[in-house]
Amino acid sequence: MKDGHYIKLTAVYFFAGLVMVYASYSLPKWLPGDFVTAMYYGSNVTLTAEQEAQIRACYPCQEGFSRYLLNLLSLKWGYSYAFLTPVSDLILEALPWTLLLFGGAHGASMLFGFIAGVEAAWRRGGWVEKAGVGCMTIMEGVPEMCTGVALLMLFALWLGWFPSSGAETAYSIYSAIERIWDMTHHLALPFTTLFLAYLPGNFLLTRGSMVMVLKEQFVQTARAKGLPPSRVRYAHAARNALLPMFTRFGLRIAFMVTGAVVVETIFSYPGMGTLLYKAIGLRDLSLIQGIVLISSLMVLFVNLAMEILYGIIDPRIRNAYKLPA
Amino acid sequence: MHISFRHELGRDPWFITGIGLGLVLLLLAGLGPVFSPYDPHDISFRPLSPPSADHWLGVNDGGMDIFSELLFGMRNTAGFGILAGFTALFLGVAVGLAAAWFGGFTDQIAMRLADVVLAVPSVMILIMAASLFRPSPVMLAVILSIISWPTTAKAIRSQALVVKNRLHIHAARQAGASGIYILARHLLPELFPLYLIGFAAKARMAMFMEASLAFLGLLDPARKSLGIIISFALKYYYMDIWWNWLLPPVILLSLLTMTVTFLVISLEKVFDPRLKEAL
Repeated sequence: MKDGHYIKLTAVYFFAGLVMVYASYSLPKWLPGDFVTAMYYGSNVTLTAEQEAQIRACYPCQEGFSRYLLNLLSLKWGYSYAFLTPVSDLILEALPWTLLLFGGAHGASMLFGFIAGVEAAWRRGGWVEKAGVGCMTIMEGVPEMCTGVALLMLFALWLGWFPSSGAETAYSIYSAIERIWDMTHHLALPFTTLFLAYLPGNFLLTRGSMVMVLKEQFVQTARAKGLPPSRVRYAHAARNALLPMFTRFGLRIAFMVTGAVVVETIFSYPGMGTLLYKAIGLRDLSLIQGIVLISSLMVLFVNLAMEILYGIIDPRIRNAYKLPA
Repeated sequence: MHISFRHELGRDPWFITGIGLGLVLLLLAGLGPVFSPYDPHDISFRPLSPPSADHWLGVNDGGMDIFSELLFGMRNTAGFGILAGFTALFLGVAVGLAAAWFGGFTDQIAMRLADVVLAVPSVMILIMAASLFRPSPVMLAVILSIISWPTTAKAIRSQALVVKNRLHIHAARQAGASGIYILARHLLPELFPLYLIGFAAKARMAMFMEASLAFLGLLDPARKSLGIIISFALKYYYMDIWWNWLLPPVILLSLLTMTVTFLVISLEKVFDPRLKEAL
């Protein structure tokens, strides 16, 4: 039964992925005109109807969906007319930076938010907890666009402690350690922005669910057994507060991607977000299409991985699909 | 029951702050055209001139009065949020109530549909659609609400299922009330607090999305929006304009989302029976 559940999950996500690919295949076809009109629209060449028909016959533009799918799998994602480079090259170049920034900020904010939330719930009613909840509620209200601009003004422009753009110092010859330091230095501001944006949500959610868990009887039992408080907190109680955070992650990741795009743009970080921003500015449709498709397929993949993770984290879910013997 | 809620809300500092800020911002947004000293599209002033008695926040690179731009921008951003919030709420309530009341097949279809909409990274489709077709802001708000209704629908459905089995509903049925009557007179008003939460949460998300999409250049650049103002000002951030051009829209946008966040958090605290004990 359990394996059947995972197969079903994978099938649902596979279907969702196909829907995305099909949307990206068919949406541009609704646009008025075709590539011939697009290529010759602004040029000095005026085509007669006969010539237009000839060019159309030369380029069979109506490729089928199966062909499109095959091209997708073999990294033929089209050609960017603004950058005069294959779309796949541009995306693969930008992807590692985004993974570093987005993944790092997510991991850090989940870890810190979780620990802080657990500790706050444990110290419920104290002034530390009240101040923490107050600060986090205020921070929850500030969008990353605003945090980003504020950090940029303060630390890059006014104090000059951190570089305002890029991911590395250009044309520099560094040893490996210097290079890592340089990358960290560039990463600091965008990373902090995203970290501050994601932290409050994780904190408030963990605290809320942890307060509920602490009322359960098994926590009292664990305490009565004389276990050290940290063990009661983490091994017994906190495990139960873990699931809501993962569920929320899955629900919100798509909206977070938009925020990350804005933050990357503010700091000119050479990731997918900045690439998307440039592509939109230049109206480079094939590049926009490629970025949107690839990133949404990745979001789907992450969501699937999360769903499988739930089962590992929370035995209640894993066992829910088992038939009683 | 509602009186005690009102009392509780009235004592919550987050709610009071949120309502106070919200009223001020709504007033500014609503009366923006009255307050604004100039037409925000008027480009006849000296570009990049610093703040003065004539132009409280100076003039931008295109020769437009920044204070007027700001008022109109906030009006658009807040309006977008309110519109998207209402449409999403309407969809969510309609689907959620129908699923809970009719149950069975309707419920199955509605909830599976909600799961699919939640699973597909629909914001990405939105970005793609916005870059291909350049829809009007109203259209975009509607698309956004089509993407974001499922969470509200699920919350409404689960609460409606609870209310549906209460005694007074059974009594109403026994008395011969029709389904539509019970839905309209009992279920709809009794779930009222959930609407507030749903609306505020969606409106917050929509304002944030509007600012982001405008910042990225996916909306008409001639339409004033806080995101557009930030994006244009950021191009000149190294000049001495940051405090009169860049900072005001940043603060205004933060205040806008912060207000709604405070309201969401305090409403959830008071009305969600599960969270009630936690906070």
